[in-house]
Amino acid sequence: MSLSVARRTIATPVFLGLLLVAFALVALAVGSKPFNQTIIDIFLKVIFVVGLWVFIGNSGVISFGHTAFACLGGYVAAWTTIKPMMKGMSMPGLPDWLMQTEIPFWASAVVAAGWAALWALIFGSVLMRLSGIAASIATFAMLAMVNSIYSNWDSVTAATSSVVGIPIVRSIWPYLIAALIAVFAAWAYGISRHGLALRAARDEPTAAAASGIDIPAARLIAFVISGAIMGMGGALYAHSIGIVTPDTFYLGLAFITLSMLVVGGMGSLSGAVLGVLILSSLIQILRWLEAGVDIGTTTFALPGGVQEIALGAVMILILMFRPAGIMGNRDLSLPRKAASEPEGLKGPKT
Amino acid sequence: MKRLIAALAATTCLTAPAMADDETIMVGFATAETGFMQAYDKPAQDAAMIRIKEINEAGGLLGKQIEVVNADTKTDRAEGAKAGLSVIDAGADMVVVSCDYDFGSPAALAAESAGLPSFFLCAESIKAGIQGVGPNSFSASVLAAVQGATMAEWSYNKKEARTFYRLLDTWTEYNKGICDGFDWMLPKLADAKLVGEDTFLNEDASIAAQITRIKALPEEPDAIMLCTMMPGAVSAIKQIRAAGINSMILNGSGVDGSYWLSAVPDLSNFYVPVQGSIYGDDPNPEVTAFNAKYKEATGGDPSTQYVYPGYVMIDVWAKAVERAGTTETSAVVAELEKMNGEPTLFGPRTFSSEIHHQNQARYLVVETNAGKPGVVDEWTISEPIPVADLMK
Amino acid sequence: MGSLLQIVFDALALGSLYALAALGIALIFGVMRLVNFAHGDVIAFSVFALLWPSVDAVAIVFAGNLPWFLLIPFALAIGAGLSVLSEIVVFRRFRRANPATMMIASFALGFVIRYFLLMLFSSRPKSISLLPALSQPVEIFGARIPLLQLITIVVTIAVLFGLIAFLRRTRFGLEMRAAAENFTMARMLGVRANRVIMGAFALSGALAAAIALILGSQTGTANIMMGANVMLMAFIATVIGGMGSLAGAVLAGFLLGAVATVMQVILPPDARAFRDAFVYGAVILVLIFRPQGLLSARGTKERV
Repeated sequence: MSLSVARRTIATPVFLGLLLVAFALVALAVGSKPFNQTIIDIFLKVIFVVGLWVFIGNSGVISFGHTAFACLGGYVAAWTTIKPMMKGMSMPGLPDWLMQTEIPFWASAVVAAGWAALWALIFGSVLMRLSGIAASIATFAMLAMVNSIYSNWDSVTAATSSVVGIPIVRSIWPYLIAALIAVFAAWAYGISRHGLALRAARDEPTAAAASGIDIPAARLIAFVISGAIMGMGGALYAHSIGIVTPDTFYLGLAFITLSMLVVGGMGSLSGAVLGVLILSSLIQILRWLEAGVDIGTTTFALPGGVQEIALGAVMILILMFRPAGIMGNRDLSLPRKAASEPEGLKGPKT
Repeated sequence: MKRLIAALAATTCLTAPAMADDETIMVGFATAETGFMQAYDKPAQDAAMIRIKEINEAGGLLGKQIEVVNADTKTDRAEGAKAGLSVIDAGADMVVVSCDYDFGSPAALAAESAGLPSFFLCAESIKAGIQGVGPNSFSASVLAAVQGATMAEWSYNKKEARTFYRLLDTWTEYNKGICDGFDWMLPKLADAKLVGEDTFLNEDASIAAQITRIKALPEEPDAIMLCTMMPGAVSAIKQIRAAGINSMILNGSGVDGSYWLSAVPDLSNFYVPVQGSIYGDDPNPEVTAFNAKYKEATGGDPSTQYVYPGYVMIDVWAKAVERAGTTETSAVVAELEKMNGEPTLFGPRTFSSEIHHQNQARYLVVETNAGKPGVVDEWTISEPIPVADLMK
Repeated sequence: MGSLLQIVFDALALGSLYALAALGIALIFGVMRLVNFAHGDVIAFSVFALLWPSVDAVAIVFAGNLPWFLLIPFALAIGAGLSVLSEIVVFRRFRRANPATMMIASFALGFVIRYFLLMLFSSRPKSISLLPALSQPVEIFGARIPLLQLITIVVTIAVLFGLIAFLRRTRFGLEMRAAAENFTMARMLGVRANRVIMGAFALSGALAAAIALILGSQTGTANIMMGANVMLMAFIATVIGGMGSLAGAVLAGFLLGAVATVMQVILPPDARAFRDAFVYGAVILVLIFRPQGLLSARGTKERV
């Protein structure tokens, strides 16, 4: 059964993957360094939002706390890739073996995913029995705890001070590959036995529980996988700008990623990816307008600060007209198949 | 091996930024034009522009006019990296980055990897320089630790302060820096005593519990070292005074300015170290003249002393370029590192190959008395704070 | 004795702030299941409305100079007005949306308000001397506390009793309670939904303005982010109090204030910086043992 589902839904990640590759090719064609960095930033957001989707989209539980895992991942990058001498100065409390470790950036992303998954397992085994708004607040409390600890644990995280010396990776390809991995992993989880069970539990909790689905366990699996994706994203984020601080991974990032997910449509993987691409493109266009655009002989420029206001207004408008997000719980797929999709990646009833 | 080095050298030459235009010298500002940091970057940048204008009017630098290119960091780290890359692409010879180390470093790191010198507008962490960016990065301001050390030593010598209380807002590195400097200085002052310490968070709605702890002391301390910044500082000061604690309050430069004083009417016994006075009473009349120039250029008086580092920055950089006879990075950096007590409008500046920041500096002490701030003294700490102590 | 009493007062004063804010969030949640993330920005807006827009460092005080008997109604009207306006322009169109969508819409609205203020006033905190007479300390049983703290506590208690009377004794209050209990049913029985919801928004906005006045006179500054921290705490209080339960929100608000104050007192200096980690840890514990909240409202149980 799983194989036939896979065949029926493979179009979705392939489409999304091609879309991401297209973005990378545009960056390559433009060839400007700042634009390249913009696309890298978009890929990072794709990783974060897809990570969020794995948990929120499948379980229906809103989590404010996932940026905590990005934070854990970002610091793994700092712990494992900075030159031992620099680490000794900024984070003297690290254990000796970690102090001597210096691994390449891709390895740090892998380790970060594992470390974040471990903590997702620990937190999740306590939190996953909660539902609804209580679960949301509990995840937020988890984020606030992680943030408070990382902001104050001088000897191991350098507290609020930026940790520097993380090798900067300005090539676009590693980020593209990581985003593709995230998309395919999310898809594979979505059509797996666990993913299907969790979505059943989201839509019909009583019936699902009655047919033997252990809801907390099913949620925990999604939580750990999404934690791993967020951890990988956090490490790559650190490599994209070369520094980490705890407040990078706090409410600002939590809300912008959650907004992208909801605006895109949290019911589908396509919604998660398109939410990022559409909102990021919108932000970029508004920024160009803010910087000034020449039309004929006059320069048209928005006053500074209008970009954020316009972004907020557009988000409200999109949600007004499409309350379930742009994709409205549907996935991109071949048109013929879209109509007859009985138990594929369909969203919750609204 | 030799061939490898040659090959490496060749690639470095290829990736070195192409000189966009040999007729001008380009300064790139990767600073915040919008968002939270804008209020801190803009005034310093305005002051930098004044110095650039002065240089251009006097015939330019190396006979060339200085041109400026801007990119907005939007008070965001990822955007900061982009802004840095865009001014480098535009052909900047020197990159100016945001006031704060956290927000400025992504752009500074971009400049560093492009082999360009970078200047933080007014960052006061030791990391804003060699230690946190690389050998071509500088800060135009003075270390936060110097401010804490200055206040401790000055109040001990001039105000007979013997018992100190240390109240730290753990929100930022800047705050911690002030208290670190204070901690470094205190043991050097014979019979000065720390009678208590506490922490709070800038965003705390109330610091009543912390104040209760001060009030529980058998005797009010002579001085409270308050390591915090805006906006929490006003709240903390107001609550301390509202609780009837009248000890002298020592601060970092972050609370300079009279714009907030109406919130704490008749504030007294309140001391702030500043690089230059915005109140029109600077011992150096040229500072007052600069204030007038600033008002002419921007329409308002400087609101805090953080305007001044922007001016100092262009001043010392231009001098180094003039002496080196080129804008080439290593030559300019070498000239900057030769500066020892280089006179500027706002006190002497020293850079070395070990530290691209001021670990000792002349500070004016501003006292606020009955709600009126004014310069009462000046003080230079008796010895520079060693780099090793700054790095811990 | 004096210092113990002092701690009690400190806890009560902080708790009052959280309780007032939690009440504002719980009121709206009760009638339309909306977690209003714009609440903190309504708080900031109410303070900035007292200033004349300018990006200069020195604040140009405008309505802030009014005598108190005009200032207070003015601020409350601003808060209530903005809140009602946000209902009419934005939230009215989200009645049928799911809670996540509404939450993100409220967050986007808060984002708009925040950046609007940022554009008009810049990010530099503005100083404002509101009701300066309240900064005087007063002595009660050996505890010396600022008059403002005392007033905050008294005002909170007065607001609570006022609200209870309003909800119990007036027709409007009855409708609101009915709507909070079961909105669909109340509507079928003739409760005028739009009026009730607007009333809830007005009340919530006025409460935000009250917090704004207290925070404004306590900190002496108007700052774009001033509502954010209080709002987060209030949000937590609303949940651990039991979503939709007004009494629970208030109780949890006071509890949070007490926990934060006591932690500051009992933790050793090295651990004090980690205070928030302990507070949030306590929040998780409460949620694990009472996921439905301390006092759960009947209408919010998950229906099967």
